[in-house]
Amino acid sequence: MKAVASSRLRFLASAHLTLFLPALAVFLTMMAGLLVARGQSPAPPSITVVDLIPASLSGESNQDSEPFLAIQNQNPQVMVASAFTPNPFSMTGNAPVYVSQDGGKTWTLNAITPVQRMTCDITHAMATGENHPRGDLHAGTLACATGITLDESESNDVSLTTTMNVQSTRGNVDQPFVRALGVASGDRIYVGVNDFSQANGRTATIDVSVDGGATYKSIPIESRKTAGQDGPSVRPAVANDGTVYAAFFGWRKFDGKTATSDVVVVRDDAAATGANPFQVLKDRSDKLPGAIVVKNAQIPWSNAPAMGQERIGSTLSIAVDPNHSGTVYVSWADKGSKGDIYTLHVRSSADRGVTWSKTDLPRTTIHNATNVALAVANNGVVGFLYQQLSNGRWVTHIVQSHDGFTTSQDRVLATVPADQPVGQFLPYLGDYDYLLSVSNEFRGVFCANNTPDFANFPQGVTYQRAADFNAKTLNDGSGNPVPISIDPFYFSVPVIP
Amino acid sequence: MRRAYTEAQEKCAKVQEKEVHVKISSLFLRVSFGGACLLLALCGCAKAAAPQATDRAALASKSSIIFSGTVSQLAGASFADVPKSAQTIVVKVDSVAKKPAAVSLKKGDRVTVEVKDPSAFQEGTHATFYTDGWIFGAGVAVKELGHELGTVVAPVRVTNAEKPSAQGKDELSDQELIERMKASDFVVVGRVMDVRKWNAPKPKSGAPSRVTEHDPDWHEAVVEVQSVLKGGKVKGNKVIVRFPNRNDVAWVNSPKFAKNQRGIFCLNRDQSTGASAGGQQANVYTCLGHGDALPISEEARVRALLKNP
Repeated sequence: MKAVASSRLRFLASAHLTLFLPALAVFLTMMAGLLVARGQSPAPPSITVVDLIPASLSGESNQDSEPFLAIQNQNPQVMVASAFTPNPFSMTGNAPVYVSQDGGKTWTLNAITPVQRMTCDITHAMATGENHPRGDLHAGTLACATGITLDESESNDVSLTTTMNVQSTRGNVDQPFVRALGVASGDRIYVGVNDFSQANGRTATIDVSVDGGATYKSIPIESRKTAGQDGPSVRPAVANDGTVYAAFFGWRKFDGKTATSDVVVVRDDAAATGANPFQVLKDRSDKLPGAIVVKNAQIPWSNAPAMGQERIGSTLSIAVDPNHSGTVYVSWADKGSKGDIYTLHVRSSADRGVTWSKTDLPRTTIHNATNVALAVANNGVVGFLYQQLSNGRWVTHIVQSHDGFTTSQDRVLATVPADQPVGQFLPYLGDYDYLLSVSNEFRGVFCANNTPDFANFPQGVTYQRAADFNAKTLNDGSGNPVPISIDPFYFSVPVIP
Repeated sequence: MRRAYTEAQEKCAKVQEKEVHVKISSLFLRVSFGGACLLLALCGCAKAAAPQATDRAALASKSSIIFSGTVSQLAGASFADVPKSAQTIVVKVDSVAKKPAAVSLKKGDRVTVEVKDPSAFQEGTHATFYTDGWIFGAGVAVKELGHELGTVVAPVRVTNAEKPSAQGKDELSDQELIERMKASDFVVVGRVMDVRKWNAPKPKSGAPSRVTEHDPDWHEAVVEVQSVLKGGKVKGNKVIVRFPNRNDVAWVNSPKFAKNQRGIFCLNRDQSTGASAGGQQANVYTCLGHGDALPISEEARVRALLKNP
């Protein structure tokens, strides 16, 4: 290969460049036009990894854990990310989000959420049904002061510093998880929550708005008897045709250390606009709504560090093929084989969730791992993001497959020491991270030790904050040392063909 | 000197036309118009605009970022992603008097300032800006709370400036502490006699306890009250203070108590643990907010703020 390359170089050097180069340009232009005409996208971008902390906050050393990401699909240069990042200048000011307007190359911190100082859970989505090129950001935030309060809010322009408009507020819920679908009549918003106000301990709930958040309706999606409640994670996923799935942990027993749980998937075929949403998918065993992907999984629950410095108990993800809503993937973690703390599994369904693979998809049983996030690209390729504790390091993987993981491409985005920095609170990295697809990219966010060491980031990395990669140290922009901490990282990975 | 005097006159005329800028000038220019002009002419803008020390301190306390600099651009922005408007000016920093540890700001940096009255500034205007943070990206953008022309002569109370470590990043400003104390039922000086786990009673409805990663893991601190700084007399000079002992993100900023700890505690009647459903319990409080438990070394500051909020 090197020989071929060098011979081409010699040819170029000896050619009459004044004639050759214009001809080459015409040829390449024609080829590019041909590729576009045939519907092929331009050459995919390379992998990028960016530390979200902006240069002007180089002095920060917070534990900016539990990241999330929203992409404005009509204008994917605009993105919003979040983490447990406090307001950098005020104890009483708004909690911030990270905003990029250049496709993730640079990020600013913008204090626009309705929560004071720092959220204690935040997820968001940017649907595009309305004409807001830098919106509409729909967020579910938990504010934790004297109690825990859920705000469901929106921003029509995330580049401004206007506080998000709170559309709905209530307490007694946990872990809001927002997805949205843009339609002309108003964005449809789906917020998975564990709602402790639901009757009979059937707490898995989807808050649905079909009018851009103006009104919400809480829809319980658990139809079976529980151990007093369901697990914290309730995850919706929306296909372009309006099919909405949601996955949750149906807790059947709980002894304080282990939740005996079904992994349940519900479905709605009409964007949850009907009178009785999420009832259509019934399990063959009991004819009740909600297909049971796996029954009686033993899920360890620890509100103290259990895997490295991280807690465990409720990692769950669901993704639907955006263009073929019958294809859906689910991933979760439970107690795996002996000696293993927490094992990830991925299963799939090709018939709208009616039947599921009986065993894990090939090479998707991942030991000692958490923070799973799935996404499906426009070409059907599934992306599988997770963080694995391996040999004293947190290793962040993004795996892609176009054939149900029979073959796959695995890229390590980060491999960082798991014992440093010492955790300031839980979760250490987050109870979740996130993955999305847009055009020919998977884009996502994860959290990691921020030591500026290229060896920790095999695909390369860009820091906005002041960092010395030779000395492997951070500084505040004035040369004063800054201790390492947990930072959120954005990444973009080209979708495999 | 003549030219400086003319410029000072023009500036003073603007001050008069606008009945003293919305900015710090409105707080501090309490001398007569003629006197101010004369002072400007004699001493230059910086000294002429100097406010009273107590007012300056009050404004400084409200400000999270204070710096002196020279206006380099009107209606501009110093970095992408800052919404540029007639109210945004770019200032080249000469010196930084106060900033949060996290914020990178130093001499020579260009800062976008959203000012209250753009007509008060021209390119080359030198001023001290009292500000709050706005947008943090490749550079810093701030919102003006006030300004005074020239470099501040008297040093402001510098809090947390130029300290790169995480220590002190959570320090409450005077204003924030005043607000915390206003919202409290009691502010006491006390000592923790004992700490023990506390289990909230099960609700009569029979509803199960919640299992959540945000479980507070309630504990109780028995606090001997040594003096009451705000609120009425405490019966028996002892109170029960409930606090979340969990190191979850929801409670990371809530004070954690240890036996023999002395301090100043901002207390509220318990409405958070769920125990109040059966009626108010005597002498049972919560201490949940950031800054609700202060070290005893802060006693003088707390007393001063309570006396002169």
